[in-house]
Amino acid sequence: MTGDDLAAHALTFLSGEGQATVEHERSLLLRYARSAPTQATELDDTSVHLLALRDGHVGGATTNLTDDDSLRATARRAMDAAEAAARAAGGDGDHPGLPGPPDGGYRQHDGYDAATAALDPEPGGAALAQAFAVAAEHDLEAFGVWTAGAVETAIASSRGILAVDRVTDAYMKVMCRDARARTGQLSQAAVRAADLDGEAIARAAAAKVVPGEPVRLDPGEYPVVLDAEAVGGLLEMLGGLAFNGLAHAEGRGALDGLLGTRVAAPSVNLADTPRYARTWTRAFDFEGVPKAPLPLIQDGVAHAVVHDTRSAAVAGGGARSTGHAVAPGGSAGGPYATNLVLAGGGASGVDELAAPIERGIYVTRLWYLNVVHPKQTLLTGTTRDGTFLIEDGRIARPLRDVRFTDSVLRLLDATEALSASPRLTTEAEYYGRRFAFGTVCPALRASGFRVTG
Amino acid sequence: MLDLLRQTVDRAAGHCAYAEARHVHSREEHLAVHDELVDSVDATESEGIGVRVLVGGAWGFAATRDITAAGAEQALRRALAVAAAQPAAGARPLAPVAPATGHWESRCAIDPFALPLEERLAHLFAAVAAMRGDARIVRADASAELMRTTKALATSDGTAVTQVLTECGAGIAATAVGDGELQIRTYPCSHGGTVAAAGWEQVIALDLLGHAPRVAAEAIELLTAPEVPEGQRTIVLHGEQLALQLHESIGHALELDRMLLGEASYAGTSWVQPTDLAAGLRYGSERLDVTADATVPGALGTFGWDDEGVPGARTPLIEGGLLTATLSDRQSAAAIGLGASGGCARAEGFARQPIVRMTNVSVEPGDAGSLADLLADTEDGALYLESNRSWSIDDRRWQFQFATELAREIRGGELGRLYRNPLYAGITPEFWGSLDAVCGPDEWRLWGLTNCGKGEPGQLMHVSHGTSPARFRDVRVGVAS
Repeated sequence: MTGDDLAAHALTFLSGEGQATVEHERSLLLRYARSAPTQATELDDTSVHLLALRDGHVGGATTNLTDDDSLRATARRAMDAAEAAARAAGGDGDHPGLPGPPDGGYRQHDGYDAATAALDPEPGGAALAQAFAVAAEHDLEAFGVWTAGAVETAIASSRGILAVDRVTDAYMKVMCRDARARTGQLSQAAVRAADLDGEAIARAAAAKVVPGEPVRLDPGEYPVVLDAEAVGGLLEMLGGLAFNGLAHAEGRGALDGLLGTRVAAPSVNLADTPRYARTWTRAFDFEGVPKAPLPLIQDGVAHAVVHDTRSAAVAGGGARSTGHAVAPGGSAGGPYATNLVLAGGGASGVDELAAPIERGIYVTRLWYLNVVHPKQTLLTGTTRDGTFLIEDGRIARPLRDVRFTDSVLRLLDATEALSASPRLTTEAEYYGRRFAFGTVCPALRASGFRVTG
Repeated sequence: MLDLLRQTVDRAAGHCAYAEARHVHSREEHLAVHDELVDSVDATESEGIGVRVLVGGAWGFAATRDITAAGAEQALRRALAVAAAQPAAGARPLAPVAPATGHWESRCAIDPFALPLEERLAHLFAAVAAMRGDARIVRADASAELMRTTKALATSDGTAVTQVLTECGAGIAATAVGDGELQIRTYPCSHGGTVAAAGWEQVIALDLLGHAPRVAAEAIELLTAPEVPEGQRTIVLHGEQLALQLHESIGHALELDRMLLGEASYAGTSWVQPTDLAAGLRYGSERLDVTADATVPGALGTFGWDDEGVPGARTPLIEGGLLTATLSDRQSAAAIGLGASGGCARAEGFARQPIVRMTNVSVEPGDAGSLADLLADTEDGALYLESNRSWSIDDRRWQFQFATELAREIRGGELGRLYRNPLYAGITPEFWGSLDAVCGPDEWRLWGLTNCGKGEPGQLMHVSHGTSPARFRDVRVGVAS
């Protein structure tokens, strides 16, 4: 049974308003450390989520057991949950009702590759062997992961939606490490596994392992060049703090009262662009609302937040879903932008970005980011796998990793220049169901980066 | 089910050095309400088989939801193929383990799944109602989660065991906004509350309703409270914050797979080296005693056997401040010549392979009496910090920074004025070296976390930490703005 057939069949077990969402994941992941394979996982699983609505209240239930008895029991749980929610709340809920099918249907995209979906483990094994060989050439050890996956998402709803979306994703990360624990790292993400170049990734990672004793840097504010992976990490956090339409409507968002005002440098243009050529594209969100580009910050001015159906209703004032539901019926945490794209600038690369800096820092990657103050978009984290001192316009010497505590919006406001070629960055953290998302962004230079330890 | 799993590992004979087949059925329910609305009522059920094999030094693992002989055999074939496709690896010995058989269950007095859903929701709504009433409270939240996991494991070493684990927990949060400030106050701890290996009796015992008015009042008070002045201070950490400090700067640092660089590209390494075991590394002051104990009743890291069939046990990790053991599985234990695994191999669900995870890593109670006794013994100007707000630590588990929801000045041996946005930072061995007092057994309690992330593909693991409030000298504190 195909995903859309299963969704349509599962929907028949619900009465009243509801939605069936089927996700079928097949994935392969090879992991390695010290230039040897350490783990390898292949997964084939299907889940069916049934959503029931009663008087604006939602109840949901998920199963990976797809026989009729299990689907019937799952539907009963969802309906019981919605009905119990309605009774317990004693009034109408905040869900305005499921969206109907889009007028123009769903646009096709090129986010699926049949060869990748075949999940042959041989190319992954070969990519690992290439990384091991490159590392050995440089007297280094290789660490990382190679993964590929195919996910089919199908939605059937009582409002008449019947849609299916198939996507593939592939990702490889190589960290090279020398005997003195100096490391360099690079990752590559793509729709097609064939586009992952294990040798090239490994060579770039090895090049970041620079000889010399790392210099210690005192706390303070320094000019900084953030490579694309570091920028991607910050923007991913900003997505939840600034553009979540539910938090915004409740006055908890970082852009509360700031829409229409300048929040970043004029060179900053950030959008959710689900069909961007280098991103992991999708046809619709988890409510079946079509994906479409949405400007979030234009020329430094805060322009919009994202919505699912539920958060749009909470916001009122004519707000509508922007296609950013991350769970059927909208998640309790609110909507989320999963295809952030920061437009590139005119710099050829990190060397050109570093050229005007007399003394500053070049950061390739940030680690363990966490929110210190949500409204201020204040984050903390450390640098990792390649931190360097910039001296007299040159990336000169390795630095000991540093802790920073700074506001993402403040860093975007302090942005002076961006590189020309954005690339897809991701941590590829597949907790639970595989949901590949990343941020397309360039490297940037900012006038101040607050090092706190 | 055990017969199916045994047949699968029997079929693997001759094709691999080791095989295990694990069946997991899990049922979860997450309830969340805010203000007068039900945010979500989500029930999840999943079931499947994971098969892991070791071929020529390379692991292969495949997972399927097809719970039949044919499905298990297909998973075995895929696991063998995945292992064979990887570059050749050296031999990978496993620490020996005696074959185990039997059944184990955690305690559960009130079956949470048997209670009417409305009764559970009413419990949460009552707490939410008690937090509302002031316009500055823009959101009042309550949530609960209930989980039951049934597992069966068969290995080519002859182990065949089954287990049932029931877990329950809840928490509340009040969000206050005013004068451009936002403050969140939680109970019993932040990030969704605390969970125990128990039934609904755990939620009742938390008394969410009784604590709700204080939680809301403190959120409002924090809006206008002064920020903590920067400097070096004596601090007393509440048990929840100490649990997270322990989790991040001791628990993860003592995972042997990290020390052996197996997690280097993602979760990171450790400032502790395997050779530090024999050297008797000083990890903290003489007041520091830490155990890993998979036998503590009611804790989330308690089990009959880990996912490699190693029985749950209690292991001292740090005694009198000196390192004595690490957290290991069969592979990492064998790699450094240990005679037995530390019994820390666990996997999330059926679709992930076991890796080294904490069991219940706890700071043993000290001799400082009650919290009141400890405060009475602490000088004016020290700070008491409560309820984690954020955490971050470097990839070696060496340098950290934590923020808490609030701080209170200690003056005259008692808690005094409130401060907002506190944070503190330090270096792991220096910080634990500054520990000079730990409250006694009456203050010791378990904190259950369900969001410990590790591994690629990512796995969320449940773990408990036992702590009492404790005092640290000369710690760097500051403000978060």
